[in-house]
Amino acid sequence: MASLTAGTGVWVYAICADIDDGRLSGVVGVDREPVRAVRAAGLTAVVGSVPLTEFGEEGLPRNLNDLARLESIARAHHRVVEIVADHGPAVPTRLATVYQDTDRIAGMLARRHDDFIAALGRVARRREWGVKVYGDRPEPATAVTPPLGASPGSPGAGTAYLRDRRQQLADRDVSHRTALAAAEAVHADLSGHAVAARRHRPQDPQLRGESRWMVLNGAYLVDDDIAEAFAAAVAACADRYRDVTIESTGPWPPYSFADIEDDADLTQGPP
Amino acid sequence: MIHPASWEPSPRPRIEVDREDAERGLASLVLTVVELIRQLMERQAVRRMEEGDLDDEQIERMGSTLMALAGQMVRLREHFGLAPEDLNLDLGPLGTLLPRD
Amino acid sequence: MTAPLPKSGADAATWDRVALVDLLDRVLTTGVVISGEVTLSIADVDLVYVSVHALVSSVRAGGPGPVPLRGARP
Repeated sequence: MASLTAGTGVWVYAICADIDDGRLSGVVGVDREPVRAVRAAGLTAVVGSVPLTEFGEEGLPRNLNDLARLESIARAHHRVVEIVADHGPAVPTRLATVYQDTDRIAGMLARRHDDFIAALGRVARRREWGVKVYGDRPEPATAVTPPLGASPGSPGAGTAYLRDRRQQLADRDVSHRTALAAAEAVHADLSGHAVAARRHRPQDPQLRGESRWMVLNGAYLVDDDIAEAFAAAVAACADRYRDVTIESTGPWPPYSFADIEDDADLTQGPP
Repeated sequence: MIHPASWEPSPRPRIEVDREDAERGLASLVLTVVELIRQLMERQAVRRMEEGDLDDEQIERMGSTLMALAGQMVRLREHFGLAPEDLNLDLGPLGTLLPRD
Repeated sequence: MTAPLPKSGADAATWDRVALVDLLDRVLTTGVVISGEVTLSIADVDLVYVSVHALVSSVRAGGPGPVPLRGARP
């Protein structure tokens, strides 16, 4: 079996039906390599040749663990995906999908042909929007500070501490429930404007460099025709649910709806 | 080694950590467990207080003990240079160990 | 509310408009999974997140410092 630490591999960016070669002219990928189209079975994979020393079994973990390299690679990958998705329906590939050669890619396209056609149909003329909802308290819990003026041993300090703690827990419960209820309501509301919806794990607050409690990390597949109506719905949610903060990102290529193994959650139906 | 895109762990590169990091890592593990127990104890004490299960003296004693314990945890945490959010194991798909409140 | 991104991805100057954490959320954990010869597994993604987390923490503390391990990952 060929070594996957030396030589050249093929990095896959996205799958689409077809794309004009002129559209890819001048576009570079994760290794600043020119990207190109590999066509097979009526499908097209947009790919780039990359050195396996950097993007193979050993090089890839090394690069992904270097934040500067990771960012550069992720952004370059995303830029190619965006260009393909701007052109027409496209299924973005997860970062770091590397093949030994284009023959294997062609074989994969042939094998999964029907799956890809279905996936492309699901995302045609639709874009993904991300909506995040935050509670208004920092998380996680910080240690309770003893009640003001009390020191351990002073009369009633223990009782005051427990009462203070009870109040704090009660407040947190209410706040907790309110934020979660708002998250459910926002998700239900926006799902009604989307063809498909998906909830991702809440993002690590430290990765974001902040401490707000994320209660919803939603992704919504929205018809291009009603993108404005969707944006209006997000704004309306922000107005209605004042105990939480709502942020949106997008439009994105349909990363969250690219699965060809399982279907993304389908909502009741388009509006 | 070839590994297909399935949900299987791959052999990972080893992360080299020096002794201080290892101690802090161990401390954060231990203190997380202690913190979890402390929070559970506090919640139980509050519940019992609300249910009228404790007399005034018991409330005072329990509260003092828990208050002292909270103070000790802060000191221990700070000794190891750990922030409160460091004491929260993220179990991946299972979520965090301590409630996110 | 965050403004939507400009449509074209070809402009390098628009890079910074996409927050890295939002981007990583998508390219690392979504997108179609097909059986390449080298791919990311869950353990690899975890490893990436640990590293990014460590770097963010050290940046916030005001400079390169020891890695604050948050707890062992299985």
